[in-house]
Amino acid sequence: MAELERELWALGRYVEYPPTPALDRPVRERLALEPAPRRPRLVWPRGRRAAALAGVVVLGAGATAYAASESVRDAIRDVLGLEGATIQRSDYPPPAPTQRRLALGEPASLAGASRALAFAPLVPSELGDPDRLFVRRSVRGGELSLVYLPRPGLPRTATTGVGLLIGEFRGDLLGEYLHKIVGDATRVERLRIDGSRAAWIAGAPHFFFYGDRGTIAESELQLAENVLLVERDDVLVRIEGALGRAAAVRIARSLRPS
Amino acid sequence: MEDRPLDEPALIERAKRGDVAAYERIVSEHQTIAFRTAWTITGSAADAEEAAQDAFVNAYRALGRFRSGAPFRPWLLRIVANEARNRRSAAGRRQRLAVRAAGERREDDAVPSPESALLGSERRRELLAAVERLGEADREVIVCRHLLELSEAETAAVLGVRRGTVKSRLSRGLARLRGELEAGGG
Repeated sequence: MAELERELWALGRYVEYPPTPALDRPVRERLALEPAPRRPRLVWPRGRRAAALAGVVVLGAGATAYAASESVRDAIRDVLGLEGATIQRSDYPPPAPTQRRLALGEPASLAGASRALAFAPLVPSELGDPDRLFVRRSVRGGELSLVYLPRPGLPRTATTGVGLLIGEFRGDLLGEYLHKIVGDATRVERLRIDGSRAAWIAGAPHFFFYGDRGTIAESELQLAENVLLVERDDVLVRIEGALGRAAAVRIARSLRPS
Repeated sequence: MEDRPLDEPALIERAKRGDVAAYERIVSEHQTIAFRTAWTITGSAADAEEAAQDAFVNAYRALGRFRSGAPFRPWLLRIVANEARNRRSAAGRRQRLAVRAAGERREDDAVPSPESALLGSERRRELLAAVERLGEADREVIVCRHLLELSEAETAAVLGVRRGTVKSRLSRGLARLRGELEAGGG
C-alpha cells in the first residue's frame, strides 16, 4: 500500500463525525404498524436459469436514469418479484405517458432474426407470421418483437396502436431488468400455461420500465394494456394487447419455434 | 435488546416475516455506518439522521426484494445513499470533515494502529484539508474507501457505480490528492 493510502487509513481513525443518533427505536416505532415486508414469489423449478419472468416491448436501458420520486417509492409495495422482473403495487403510480412510441429495433426477417438472436424465435401458430418483425441487438442475447396489425380478433391497442405486440428475450441473461408498477385497480394473477409459469396483468393501465437497480429513466416509462408474461424455457415472452386472458393464453399456448 | 452474537442472515429472514424486533437489531448493527455515510453525502447531521432513518424504513419495506444470503450492507448503503442524495440538493452548506485534536481517537478505536500513531495532528489537518479541496467525485470515493473503510462493493453501492469504476475513480482521486498535497507543500 502506498504511503498516502496508509496515511488516509490512519486519518480515518481521527475523523470527527457527528454523534450517531439512535435510529433503532424510531425505526421500530415507525414500522410497528406496518405489515410484514412479504413479497409473493413464484418458485421456479430450475433455479436461476429459469428464474426470470419478464417482457420487452420498446426500450433499451441506455437513457439517463433518475430515482423514482419519493412519493412513488414510498408507496410501492412489491407484489411479485423475480430475478428478471419485478411487479410492484403503488398507491401513486407515476404520471401516465399518453402515447407510446414503438421503437423496437431494426426490421428483420424471421430467418435473419434467428441468426441474430441467442434463442429460437417463438411464433404463435394461432396467428401465423407477424406483419412486422424487429430485432434489437443492444439487449444481451437480443430482443425480438413481433407486431400484428389490428384485425378481427385483434383490436387496436390504445397503448401501442397495433393489434398485438409480442416481445421475446433471454430472461436468464438480463438479471432484474423489467419493472412494472401497477395500481390497486390492476389485477395480477399467477398462471401455469402447459406447465410454464406465467403472470396475467390486467384490469387497468399499468406501467413498466427498464432500468437498473430500481431506477426509472424518464423516457423509458411506458403505459401498458393487458399483458401476459410467460416463460418458455430460457425465453421470456410478453404478450400485450386489448385481449382477454383466455385469448392471450391461447396465443401463448400456440407459441412454436420458427 | 438481545445480547447474543448477531446472526444477520437469520435476523433478515425473521424481519422478512415481519419480525420488527429482529429488524431493530439489524438497525442497531448498521446505524453508525448508515448515518456516517449519509452525513458524508449531505454534510448535515439533521439531514443525515433523516436520510438514514428513512433508508432503514424503506429497506424494511423492500426486504422482500433482498436476495437471501447476499451481503446486506451494500444493499442497505445503496438505499442510504439514495435517500441522502435526495436531501443533498435542498441542503445548505455542507459541514466539513474535521479531525479530533492530537491524541484523541474515535471511540471505536480502542487500540491505536501503528499507522495512526505515526500520523501527527498537523499532518492530519493537512490531509483532511486536501481531501476537502477535491471535487465531489474524488472526495466521495476517498472518504468511502479510506475514511469510512467501506469495501469496494459497498463503495460502489454508495456511489451508484460499478466496482471497476470505484477502482479507476479512486486511482484518479488519489493522484489529484497527491497533487493537492504537493501544491500545498505536503
